[in-house]
Amino acid sequence: MNRIPRTNVLRVFRRTALPLLSYYAVTVALPLANGAAQSGAVFTEHALVVLIVPPVVIVFACAVHTIARGIWAIERT
Amino acid sequence: MESQNACRPGAFGPGIKLLAVAATLLIVWGLKRHYSDARADDLWWILTPTAHLVSVVTGATFTFQSGEGYFARDRLFLIEKSCAGINFMIAAFGMSVFALFHRVWSVTSAARVLGVSLLASYLAAVAVNTARIALAMWLAAHPATLPAFNAADVHRLEGIVVYFGSLVLLYELVQRLDRRGCEVAR
Repeated sequence: MNRIPRTNVLRVFRRTALPLLSYYAVTVALPLANGAAQSGAVFTEHALVVLIVPPVVIVFACAVHTIARGIWAIERT
Repeated sequence: MESQNACRPGAFGPGIKLLAVAATLLIVWGLKRHYSDARADDLWWILTPTAHLVSVVTGATFTFQSGEGYFARDRLFLIEKSCAGINFMIAAFGMSVFALFHRVWSVTSAARVLGVSLLASYLAAVAVNTARIALAMWLAAHPATLPAFNAADVHRLEGIVVYFGSLVLLYELVQRLDRRGCEVAR
């Protein structure tokens, strides 16, 4: 079974830290500063989705990359 | 003279860097303020090129409707204020300034970093919004039958993936150009 190396995922997270922080700043921090928390459950749901999806996308992209490299390595041998 | 110092860290001390941070925050605040007060008509500077590019990509015909935005009658699709991508532009601008911050060492270099970041974030916002709207129009024309997600969920997920993915791509591009600039300066 092909597992995603943990170091790869950590490296990608480090590499995408600034875009991730910029995205969180605009989608969560700025609305919070403007009082979006007062809208209650609607904002909580929005914040949860916005916080969770990008890391999931990163892990998914790492998995796809690892699988693609694995297939490429098998084809070369 | 300036090109030799372009990659030198902080020759002028923290004063000019603080000024650059203040200018960045002022621009972010100004954009956010403009966006919250603006009607669709006031956002012509970003909605017009976006609508033209979406027309080229999708073949749809958009006509401007005062107070609403750009409407494609044949596709029943409206490019309105919330499609302007100002939040993406703000994120891209802040990120670009941060990525190029080591180049700030004089008033001229600070102005250059802010100008380049503003231009890059504007161009990226127009291009990314075009991609997002074109994808949204395609998804609207080809609705998927996923039991776990409704159309609004798919639209939201599409927005997150496109905007975050584009920020990552823009960051990689800025870093590559920055590295190349430093190599040329040496």
